[in-house]
Amino acid sequence: MTNGLTRFVLRRFTVAILFVVVVGSAALVLVRLAPGDPTDDLFMRGADAETIAAARHRLGLDQPIGSQLARWVAGLTRLDLGESSRFGLPVAGLVADRMRNTAELAGLALLVAAIVGLPLGVVTGTRPRSVVGRIVTIVSVALVCCPPIIGTLMLLFLAASTGWLSIAPGNFVVPTLALALPLAAMLERLQSQSMAEAFAAPDIVAAAARGVPVRRLIWIHAARQALRPVLGVAGIVVATLFSGSIAVETMTSWPGLGRLMLDALLSRDLFLVAGCALAGSSLVAMGNFLADLLRASVDPRVGQPS
Amino acid sequence: MRIPRSLVLLLAVAALVASIGYFWRNRVDSGQNAKGGPRSGGKVVVTYRSEPGSFNRYVAPRVAEDLIARLIHATLVRVDRTTGQVEPRLAREWSTSPDGLTWVFTLEKGITFSDGVPFTAADVVFSFRALYDPAVKSALGSSLLIGGEQMKVRALDAHTVSIVLPKSYAPGISLLDALPILPEHKLRAALDAGAFADAWGVTTAVSEMAGLGPFVIKEYRPGQRLAFGRNPRFWKRDESGRVLPYLDELELQFTPEQNAEVLRLQAGEADLMTDRVRFEDLASLQDLAKQGRVTLHTAGVSIGPDMLWFNLDPAAKSAQGRAWLQHDELRHAISRAVSRTTIVNTVFLGEAVEIAGPITPGHGEWFLRDLPLPAFDPADAVRRLASIGLKDRNGDGLLDDQRGKTASFSILTPKGNSIRERSVDIIQEQVRKIGLKVDVVALDGGAVRTALGEGNYDAIYYAVEADSLDPGRHLDFWLSSRPMHFWHPSQPTPSTTWEARIDQLMTQQSTTVDHAERLRLFAEVQRLFAEHEPVVYFAAPKVIVATSARVGGVKAALFAPNVLWNAEKLFIQASADSRR
Repeated sequence: MTNGLTRFVLRRFTVAILFVVVVGSAALVLVRLAPGDPTDDLFMRGADAETIAAARHRLGLDQPIGSQLARWVAGLTRLDLGESSRFGLPVAGLVADRMRNTAELAGLALLVAAIVGLPLGVVTGTRPRSVVGRIVTIVSVALVCCPPIIGTLMLLFLAASTGWLSIAPGNFVVPTLALALPLAAMLERLQSQSMAEAFAAPDIVAAAARGVPVRRLIWIHAARQALRPVLGVAGIVVATLFSGSIAVETMTSWPGLGRLMLDALLSRDLFLVAGCALAGSSLVAMGNFLADLLRASVDPRVGQPS
Repeated sequence: MRIPRSLVLLLAVAALVASIGYFWRNRVDSGQNAKGGPRSGGKVVVTYRSEPGSFNRYVAPRVAEDLIARLIHATLVRVDRTTGQVEPRLAREWSTSPDGLTWVFTLEKGITFSDGVPFTAADVVFSFRALYDPAVKSALGSSLLIGGEQMKVRALDAHTVSIVLPKSYAPGISLLDALPILPEHKLRAALDAGAFADAWGVTTAVSEMAGLGPFVIKEYRPGQRLAFGRNPRFWKRDESGRVLPYLDELELQFTPEQNAEVLRLQAGEADLMTDRVRFEDLASLQDLAKQGRVTLHTAGVSIGPDMLWFNLDPAAKSAQGRAWLQHDELRHAISRAVSRTTIVNTVFLGEAVEIAGPITPGHGEWFLRDLPLPAFDPADAVRRLASIGLKDRNGDGLLDDQRGKTASFSILTPKGNSIRERSVDIIQEQVRKIGLKVDVVALDGGAVRTALGEGNYDAIYYAVEADSLDPGRHLDFWLSSRPMHFWHPSQPTPSTTWEARIDQLMTQQSTTVDHAERLRLFAEVQRLFAEHEPVVYFAAPKVIVATSARVGGVKAALFAPNVLWNAEKLFIQASADSRR
C-alpha cells in the first residue's frame, strides 16, 4: 500500500469513528429533548405520581442531559451502550442480534441489486432505443421514484393476493426484494449513464477502431470503465440501503435494526435509540469505508494528492 | 346361489341412505369431535404488533405483557369479558363477610404449576408480597391498591386464603382478574435478593419459567415470534369435562405494521390480528367473510370512544384572555354544531352509534338509555356562543370575543390514527361553519401526553382504552383528585360544585355493595356529566374482530385482548384441516 493510500484509509477510518459517535450522541440528545418519555404509558394507565417518579429515577430521566450524555460516551469505550428501559437488558446485546439481521438483509439486497441492476444498466446504456432498453428504463424510473414504504406495500399485496411468496416474519424473500428492487433500479440508471459516457471515451473509441469485437468492447472494456463512477456513489447506495431498511423491516416484519429502532423511538427507549443509531451508522460507515477501498482498488487516482 | 334383485336394490338404497347420513353428520359436526364438542389439537397463528419488554407482568405494564401473562398464568378469579361476570379460576369458591371487606377463597386442589410443583395458598401470599414490595415498584401493584391502600392476604391453610380489603370496594374481587399468581418456588430467591424487577426478562430461558395458565412458552425469537405450547398440567376442563386448552400450539408472530397484519390474514398466513378491525379494512374483510375465508365477530359497542376535552384548569395558560374557552356553553355549542350522524356514516361507515357521554351501550346496564342526545342544531350552537360573548363583529365569518379578537383554539391529536384524524377533521370543518376557527395539530403520541401532563394545550382529541365495564374501576377518570380526570387533573379540592358532587357520588358508588343503589348513583353521575359536558363525545364504534374461518370458539370481547382472553377455548374447525 502506498503512503498516500495508507493516509487515505486512516483518514477515512477516523472520520467513520467520529461519524458513528456523533450520530449516536445526536440520537440520544434528540430523543431526550423530544416531548414524552418511557413513563408516558404509566401516566395514561393512571399510575400515581410516586410510581411515575420512581420509574423516571430508575431510568435516569431525572438527571441532566449533559451528564447522561457524558456517561453514555464514556461507556462506549467499554462497549457499554446502557440499558434498555423497555427490556431491562443491556443495549449492546439487543443491538448486536438485530445488527446482524440487518447486515444480512442489506448484503443480500445489495448482491441481488448488483446482479440485476448492473448488467441491465449495460444493456440500456448500449441499446437505449431498443424495446428492452425502453421497458427497463421505464420500470427503473418508476422504482427509483417509488418511496420504499409504497414499494414494500405493493410487494406485500402481490405476495398476499397471489400466494407466491410467504410474508411470515423472518422470511427473507419479500424484504430482500423490497430493498433490492429500488437499489437495482438506481444502479441500472447509474451504470446506464456511465456506459453512455464510457462509449465516448478515447480509449473505447480506439479499441473499437482496432477491431475489438463489440461484445468484448461492451462487457469488458466499457462496462469496467463505467463501473468507476458507479463505485464513486457507493456510499450513497449504502446509506440508501440502510435508510430504506427502517420502512422495509417494519412493513415486512424483518427482525432488524431499523425495526428495533422504530420500536425504541415509539417507546422513547433512550439508550436503545442511541444504540440503534450507533449501530446503524456503524454499518453505513463500514459500507462507505469498504466502498472507498473498492474504489481505490479500481481507480489508482484515489488517495493521490490532487 | 342367485341373489334376488329386490335384495340388491334394498342393499343399494340402504348404502345410499347410510352414505348420505354419514356425510350429513360430518357436515353438521364440522369442527366438532366425536363426542360433539370442539376438536383438540392444531395451531393458531396470531399477528401481534408489539413485542414484550419482559415476561414479568408485575413490572411490565404494557398490553403485550398482559396478554402473555393471561396465556401462561392464571388468576384467582376471572371476569368473563363478554358478560362482566366474575367466574372461578384458581379459586374454586369464595365467601365474603357482611361488611364486604373480608373475602375467603377456597383454592382448587391437586393443581400443579407447569413444572410439576404443586400450587398452594403460599403462592397466592407470595404473589401479593411481590406485588406490593416497595423494591419492586410494580406498576401493576399501584393499580391494585384500593383507595391508595394495599389488600392484606393470609393463608388460612394450604388451600384457603383470606383477602381483606382496606375499605369497602364495590367492584370487589373483579380486581383480582388482573393479578397473575406466580410460583413462589421459582421467584422467591429473586424477591428476597431485591432482584424481582429483573426476574423473567425476555432473555430468561423458557425452562426457568413456570405458570398455571393454559399455555407455556416454548420459544421466543426476538423480532419474529413467541411460540406457546399447551400446558399439559393445566387443570381446567370444559363443560363436558374435556381437557383444555383445545389448541396444541399458539404462536404470536410479531408484525409491527397494521397493513401487513391485514394482508397476512387475507393471505391465510395468520388466524387473528392484534386487535379490532380498522374501518378502512372493513370492506375488504367483509368480502373475504362472504367467501368464507374470514369470520367477523362483532363484540358490541366500544367502551373507550374518542373524546374531545378542553383544558379546564383555571390556571392554564390557554385560558388567559380566553375565559370563554372554559365555559360550559362552548362545549355545548360544539356538541350541537357537529353532526354525530356524519361521523358515524363517513368515518365509521355506519358501524358506530351516536353517543353523548363516556358510557356507551357497550357498558350494558351502566348505560343510561334515557339520557338525551344533544340534537344537531348549528343555530342553537350560535346562540349559545353569543351568550358567552362570541359574535362575528367584523363580518369576516368568524366569531370574535368581546375585545374583537377572533375566537380560535387548537385541538391536539396523536397522529397515525386515521379514524381519529378524520373525525377531528369533520369537527374542525363543522365548527368552522358556526364561526369558530380551529387548528388541528397532529402530534406524536408522546408529545400529546406531555402537553396533557404539563397542562399546555387548549383541547385534545384522544381516547383511552378501558379495561372494565364497571365504572367503579375507573375512578381515575371520575374523581377530581386523580391524574386521569383529563380536563382538570389532580385537583387538591374540587374546583366546581358539580365536580364535588360527582366525587361524592362516585365515592359512594364505588363503595356501596347494593347494586341497585350503585346503578342509581351512577345514573345521577351521568346526568351531571351531560349537564356540564366537560368532555364531548360524538360516536362509539362497534368493536369488530376478524379471525380466519378455521378458528372456532371465539368469544369476542370489547377490550383487549379481544379474543385471546379466552384462548384456552379456541379450536380449529374440522373442515379447515387442509388449510395449514
